[in-house]
Amino acid sequence: MSIIYVLIPLAIIIVGIAIAVFFWAVKSNQFDDLERHGSSILFDDDVNQKDKPDKHE
Amino acid sequence: MAEQNECYHCGLPNDPKLVFETTILGERRRLCCVGCLAVSEAIVANGLESYYQYRTEKAEQAESPTNDILSQLVVYDEPALQEEFVFDEGNHKHIQLTIEGITCSACAWLIEKQLTKLAGIKQVAVNVSERRAAISWYPEQISLSNVLLQIRKIGYRAFPFESDSHERSYVSEHKSYLKKLGLAGLLSMQVMMLMTGLYFDLFGNIEAQTKQYFHWVALVLSTPVVFYSGSLFTISAIKALSARTVNMDVPIALAVLATYIAGVRSVLQQQGEVYFESICMFVFLLLLSRYLEHQARYKASKVSSNLMQHIPVTATLVDQNEKISNKLAKLLEVGDCLLVKAGEVIPVDGEVIEGESRVDESMITGEFVAVKKQVNNKVYGGTVNQHGVIKVRVVSTLKNALVSQIIRLQTTALLNKPRIALFADRLSRYFIMAVLAIAGLTYIGWSYAGNDNAFWITIAVLVATCPCALGLATPTAFTCAMAELNRRGILIKRADALEQITTVNLLAFDKTGTITEGKFSIDNAWYGESLLPKQCLSIIRQIERFSEHPIANAFFSEPDEVSGELQDQMAQNIKNVNVAQGQGIGAEVNGKRLFVGSISWFEELTGQLFGEHYSQIDFSPNVLLFNEHEILAAFFVTDTLKSDSVHTVQQLKLFPFLELALLSGDVDAHVKNVAKQLGIPHAIGGVKPQGKLHVVEQWQHSNKKVMMIGDGINDAPVLSQADVSVAVGNASDVAKSSADIVLLREGLQLVPNLFHFSRQVQKTVKQNVAWALGYNLLILPFAVLGFLHPWMAVIGMSLSSLIVTVNSIRLRGVKAQ
Repeated sequence: MSIIYVLIPLAIIIVGIAIAVFFWAVKSNQFDDLERHGSSILFDDDVNQKDKPDKHE
Repeated sequence: MAEQNECYHCGLPNDPKLVFETTILGERRRLCCVGCLAVSEAIVANGLESYYQYRTEKAEQAESPTNDILSQLVVYDEPALQEEFVFDEGNHKHIQLTIEGITCSACAWLIEKQLTKLAGIKQVAVNVSERRAAISWYPEQISLSNVLLQIRKIGYRAFPFESDSHERSYVSEHKSYLKKLGLAGLLSMQVMMLMTGLYFDLFGNIEAQTKQYFHWVALVLSTPVVFYSGSLFTISAIKALSARTVNMDVPIALAVLATYIAGVRSVLQQQGEVYFESICMFVFLLLLSRYLEHQARYKASKVSSNLMQHIPVTATLVDQNEKISNKLAKLLEVGDCLLVKAGEVIPVDGEVIEGESRVDESMITGEFVAVKKQVNNKVYGGTVNQHGVIKVRVVSTLKNALVSQIIRLQTTALLNKPRIALFADRLSRYFIMAVLAIAGLTYIGWSYAGNDNAFWITIAVLVATCPCALGLATPTAFTCAMAELNRRGILIKRADALEQITTVNLLAFDKTGTITEGKFSIDNAWYGESLLPKQCLSIIRQIERFSEHPIANAFFSEPDEVSGELQDQMAQNIKNVNVAQGQGIGAEVNGKRLFVGSISWFEELTGQLFGEHYSQIDFSPNVLLFNEHEILAAFFVTDTLKSDSVHTVQQLKLFPFLELALLSGDVDAHVKNVAKQLGIPHAIGGVKPQGKLHVVEQWQHSNKKVMMIGDGINDAPVLSQADVSVAVGNASDVAKSSADIVLLREGLQLVPNLFHFSRQVQKTVKQNVAWALGYNLLILPFAVLGFLHPWMAVIGMSLSSLIVTVNSIRLRGVKAQ
């Protein structure tokens, strides 16, 4: 059971890192627009497909 | 492509006579107007076609392109103007733009792609929900006006803007909420995990040392939750107590801190109970509800902030040597002399010193009949010079202009508005005092009875009676309602407006612009073969220049179409003008006698019968352009009721509790006439902004709850005074910013919807309050009698809150009536 004396502090450190990352994300306005970025992946995929035939011309 | 009745770009109906076509996504598509054509062609040409594939909403109708857009935008390059809203960040500049016309995330993608292609753009970030873009650019490579022009090319209108003070405070608050919530969430999970482990200790199998270790870890983890995340409640409670009052945060802070301190004591003494997981959950759940409520208000403030656009008004300055230069309106000084051409906005208040014209003062008075202005007459900033060229001497600076005064009037009215929230505050204060008293008595009672658990029973009482669900009952219902209404095209700027709608018993409409389209316009036109349409319109304009009749305005609504050169050429050749009262106006143009007037006048002068000779005109015109022999052009000109006004008013009349009234700055007879058409019983015409305010005040004195629907700057004060105010979709920005509710779509058909929905919301709120109060009262005896552990109280409280929230979310599925 003594492994918990290592694992739990480790977990706390990881949570600490997670919190730091979260705070950084909030600070750099990443939570401002939650509507938009869900779909942005769709668009960029398509652009690449579109661009390729263009280059052959 | 056959069967394309709707514009592919904006979804508006296509005119069957005018064909605009282009190839989009490999097919010929029909578009409704030149504007949409230009925009969609620009989108296709830039390789951004997939916008059409992925958009979820149609775009807004594009404006027709005019050449002088660039010259209009160039003023944004002016350093004096830029210093207000452009931030210098070393070698690049940064700006926040509000963008009109964003309908879905495809729009954001389109704008970003369009801009990132330009040289000199450092970064673009478009935010769909806020309808804003943040742009950084290198000023030596590209000018701001060019950036704005590129956005305009693909059909959006961008304006620099200044976030209002509300919003600025919300932004920092919002971030701090998010941080506190995130921290509480993450740490609660850890603490719960540890404590769940200890729950299995029912049979005492866990070593005391391990248990102690777990307690210590839980203590370390919950400390930031209590002191950072929970600081929101603690600080608010301390503030309330130091002001010698109580608020909802007092019992919360008390319960959290007491449980925490008792936990610390237990850990140190290695005996007694700890409830760290309960504290963490408690703080997290409470924060979550506060956060949701805050977010709803934040959203509303962002939209209203978008209205604070910087539209710089420039003026043409004439100095003593008759030299002409451009100057920003805000830099004008008293005594400056300005030249105002036809079609231009008069930048500030002034006095005419040369020339004669007619000015559209509808933005101030609400009347669309232009006012004649001669030397020594006063003209007002923001009004539109319709006809001649006038020279104006500035009599007051922009700050003191009449428009600014109206805005100030509105602000005062807003401050005087009674708020329902105050009452709710007082109610919850009594509730909380009762809770604190009961908790105190419980502690004393159990201590007196010698129970060791008196402390924990008291904590359970505090948590169980925490008016959490009660606190959530109203905001969650309103948040869901606001989101649902937003989806339907109604923006609620003040949550308690929804509550107030249910008490409204008098609904007053503004006429011009709200019920009617607001201006005479050419509804239908027919042109003969002898003259080009452009020539016809130009001739009519030249002749109508001499007319005082409001119908004449219809022909001046699109001044850009005819080149100034042609106009000047014509102007010199107009002679012998004669006006036939109630019939029309005649003049000699280039030596030929021409008339503009009614059918009966045409029949009288030419002896022909209209019906016999002109069956090819497939509508019944009310304005004709004709000479002695034939009709050259025919028009149907009207100030029409908006298409849905009649239907809406009929629907509203079905509400038995509602009285309808019409309140307008327009001529009384006109107003009465419209009221009769619609069947509105009360009609008051000819009232100025101040007058409207008084009328509404009087109504309010006779115990009416007034809802006012309006659109113009002239409505702004009365909108602020009314109990609930609604600005229609085409309303001026000032009206929108003073209204509680903004209809995002043109037309009034959303108004009856609003009444139905607000009643639905009220019902939900009542259910929520009934449940929350019921639960609190039910659980109270159990808590007081000591049957409840603190953790049970926390779970009960959470469940109760959850039920309330879910009940509110049901509002989102309510069908539109």
